[in-house]
Amino acid sequence: MVALVVGLSPMRLRIATDKLAWGLAIFPMAALVAALNAWSRIADGGVLSWQVNWLPSLGLSLGLYYDGLSALFVLLVSGIGVLVVIYAGQYFQGDQSAWRFQVYLLLFMSAMLGVVMAGDVITLFIFWEGTSIISYLLVAYKYKDEEARAGAFRALFITGGGGIALLAGLLMVSYVAGGSDLATILQSGELIRSSEIYGAMLALVAFGAFSKSAQFPAHIWLPGAMSAPTPASAYLHSATMVKAGVYLLARLNPALGNTEAWFWLLTLVGGTTMVMGAYLGLKQHDLKALLAYSTISQLGVFVMMIGQEMDIAFKALVVGVLAHALYKSALFMVAGIVDHETGTRDIRRLGGLRRVMPVSFALATLGALSMAGLPPLFGFLAKETLLATAVHPSFTPWESYILVAATVATGALLLAQSGMLVYETFLGPVKDERVHGHEAPWAMLLAPAVPALLSLVVSLPDAQFLEAFLANAAAAAYGDKVKVSLALWTGLHEPVLLSFVAISLGSLLFWRRAQVRAWQDRLLAGATWNGVYTAVLNGMDSLATWATRLQQGRLRVYLSIMLVSVVALVLLLGGVPLPEATAVSWPILDFDGELAILRLFALLVAVGAALASVLLVRDFAAIVALGASGLAVAVLMALEPAPDVALVQIVVDTLALVILVLALTRLPRPQRRRAQAFTFAQSRRGLLRDGLVAGAMGAVVTAVTFVALISRPRESYLTPFFAANAKPLTGAKDIVGAIVVDFRALDTLIEIAVFSMAGLGIYTLLRLAARHHGDRGTQVDELPLPVQALRSYGIGGQLVSPFVRVVAYFVLPLALIIAATHMMYGHDQPGDGFTAGVIISLAVGFWYVVFGYYQTRQRLVWLRAAPLISSGLLLVMVSGAIAAFVNGHFLSPVDFGALLGLPLPAGFSLSTSFLFEVAICLAVVGSVVYMLNTLGHPGETTDGNS
Amino acid sequence: MELLTALAIGLLFAIGIFQMLRRNVIRSAIGLIILANAINLFLLSTGAYQGVDPAYSTAAGVQSDALPQALILTAIVISMGGTAFVLSMLYIISARYQTSDLDEVNGLRN
Repeated sequence: MVALVVGLSPMRLRIATDKLAWGLAIFPMAALVAALNAWSRIADGGVLSWQVNWLPSLGLSLGLYYDGLSALFVLLVSGIGVLVVIYAGQYFQGDQSAWRFQVYLLLFMSAMLGVVMAGDVITLFIFWEGTSIISYLLVAYKYKDEEARAGAFRALFITGGGGIALLAGLLMVSYVAGGSDLATILQSGELIRSSEIYGAMLALVAFGAFSKSAQFPAHIWLPGAMSAPTPASAYLHSATMVKAGVYLLARLNPALGNTEAWFWLLTLVGGTTMVMGAYLGLKQHDLKALLAYSTISQLGVFVMMIGQEMDIAFKALVVGVLAHALYKSALFMVAGIVDHETGTRDIRRLGGLRRVMPVSFALATLGALSMAGLPPLFGFLAKETLLATAVHPSFTPWESYILVAATVATGALLLAQSGMLVYETFLGPVKDERVHGHEAPWAMLLAPAVPALLSLVVSLPDAQFLEAFLANAAAAAYGDKVKVSLALWTGLHEPVLLSFVAISLGSLLFWRRAQVRAWQDRLLAGATWNGVYTAVLNGMDSLATWATRLQQGRLRVYLSIMLVSVVALVLLLGGVPLPEATAVSWPILDFDGELAILRLFALLVAVGAALASVLLVRDFAAIVALGASGLAVAVLMALEPAPDVALVQIVVDTLALVILVLALTRLPRPQRRRAQAFTFAQSRRGLLRDGLVAGAMGAVVTAVTFVALISRPRESYLTPFFAANAKPLTGAKDIVGAIVVDFRALDTLIEIAVFSMAGLGIYTLLRLAARHHGDRGTQVDELPLPVQALRSYGIGGQLVSPFVRVVAYFVLPLALIIAATHMMYGHDQPGDGFTAGVIISLAVGFWYVVFGYYQTRQRLVWLRAAPLISSGLLLVMVSGAIAAFVNGHFLSPVDFGALLGLPLPAGFSLSTSFLFEVAICLAVVGSVVYMLNTLGHPGETTDGNS
Repeated sequence: MELLTALAIGLLFAIGIFQMLRRNVIRSAIGLIILANAINLFLLSTGAYQGVDPAYSTAAGVQSDALPQALILTAIVISMGGTAFVLSMLYIISARYQTSDLDEVNGLRN
């Protein structure tokens, strides 16, 4: 726990230069000390865990889990982290932008610590993805180099894809185990293994782990990632990140492992990777590429070991992980030093550096001996346990033969590479006179020196702490006790003999290396997995191009595609569950009710008028037809019977008509004429296509509606509550009204806010358009009234007859009175604040038509949109807040009239509901005024006499 | 009667969509409103039952389902606001491109 807190603390530290490397090393150091300190508490195989609920509703929690296996990896991450931070400080000496690298490095360290200490698979996944992303940043650190960017992308592409698979797999695992925390999952091994989806879980989780740990055939990203600066390669791509997959598999072994599928999958993939990595490594001539392939080979070994069901395999795993981390990080850092001091990593140019770089030579030799698996180095122990596993009696003879052959061959190949690494670089003749080297500063040598010397020291006797430490780690992965002894010489066993075979073979390979490498180059020269990767990538590119070509920019086409997809989805998902003919009470065409004829008539008008709006040539006529259709819809609603809805439908229909006509008048006349002309100028095929799309959608809707209509449940869960409580709780007879302003008052508050936003949005949009026409900065409200404008009347500038003007004078006060009664008595009768607001707005709209924009604005001073909207919204909030004081609930009903004992007319109560209605009315008027002002403003019409 | 109502709502829906697919800006706005009407009618038809009296607590007979009605009230208002907003957007588009032909508005391409 302490370790993570300290491990995460570098996240806060954003600014640092390369000079600060020593200071920065404190953070991983602290994590290391804390981890070792905490180890004493888990030495007996216990677990330290900590959990906090993150999203309890989704069952998500953040958790930490610290046991022997975590401890081993925390030790590697923080221990090598210390060295790499110091090394990077030296590596980037003089580069003032290198703080960026250090920040990435520390961020990576935190993420990696998170992975190996996560106590919850979701937490684990988050940190897992974090390592992928930061790895991308580190590999592409030299972002001006195209190769670095390509390598970084490839790594992210492959590990990211694996991450998605991993997430799916982990979710399945937690679903089956009944919890996403590690403790639950590790205890549900039986449940998981016997699950029906075990195969899918295994495949997904394993794919995630394989992609991260560079297993065949996802291994191709690792050599590409070598374009990262060497400190990153030494840390991420040998010691830590690539081992995340190994960690995950080892971690989940008690839950997912111990099955045939697990054994074969891990053994085959790991074994293939092991042999292939070692084989390809021998081909390389770049020091880092050579090291990368041998890393791949080692990762294959680890994966293979996790697949086994014997304690010695897990001993091989933990010993191997530690040994590999030590020698490989040392070798990488030495390779970096060579590159840094000579300018090249190509063994065809290097050679004879032992005189100028004696310390580097010594360190490289130590590392290489360990890699070759020669005594008395730690790598020898790793190889011995590996061979001991291969000859384990639980294998069938054939399995054992193949395993032994593969491990011996790998050992031989690795030995040859180790020899090549040292010999070609430091020994032998100088191959290129232009390559000069000199020894690195001591601080830079310190970093590889520590792991290289540790490789030597840990194999000395009396390493009891280490034995206990590794045994604890192996036990956590194996699920049972594992005995680890680190004695170098245990007598003349089979493994030792096999080791001799491997060493002899390796020496032979090293001796004849020139011939072997030449032969390797000829064999299968063209076939690489990179080709597959490139083909996949190109395929995706062309798929994207094809998909983009569908986007021709025509809105109508987009709409058609969406609608067709909806219909297709409905059909694909089994269509609408139409009732069986017998279940429907025939005849459906009953005309029993007294209002049936009226309903039929309304249906006919609604559809007929809508059809007319399609067929009528003139836009204006089409709009009028639309109005008729809307009114018929209102009649249908009244027949439900839903009088409130019908009333609102009527006023809204009218208002929509007014706004449509206003919008129509704003379009320039030639443009309108042209538009009318091409309304029907579409090809027959296009019309047919649109008709088919619309018809298909209509058919689906018909079916759905029909099902909804005949399967009305006849009883409702919620409505009885509202019906019973409307009067007692809110004092309203009108249940619909009570629901709107009392029971669901918050909904309504949001609704009028949205409506206000629509008005405000229109205003903003049209002002924006006006600016495009050169009218800058002025607001409609502030426009000075032109003198001639005061004389202009009507929306088209024509003077309307005196009679109409007189009517207009009377209409507005009448509308105000009607609106007031709607608001006062809306609780007991049809009608509400919204209707009131629209009625006032319609009267105002009439004024716009009769008196014109400027006259209306001059005469109706109170008609200012922003104050109206804000006072409306404010009124709701204030009355709701007062109700909160009185009743304890925001927007709860309070009858202020009764509370204060005011003498009010019967049937009217000065309550929060009434105030809400007033507020709705104000907001609606304000919003509609915005619409009318902007759409009715004469300034922007391009031709004045429309 | 249910079949006829369903058929009418479906037809209104189809007409609305057909109108929305026209090239003429005004026609597609009309289509949007027809579509909104059809949807509101559909929502009304999802009410649990059809009464003979409006949903007033003083009504004698079976009252119609109040809940969907209250929801439709909101829906009508919002669709009105939405229609007005879409109209102003269509207006801006047509003013910018000097055309009411939606096919000539291809600013999405680039």
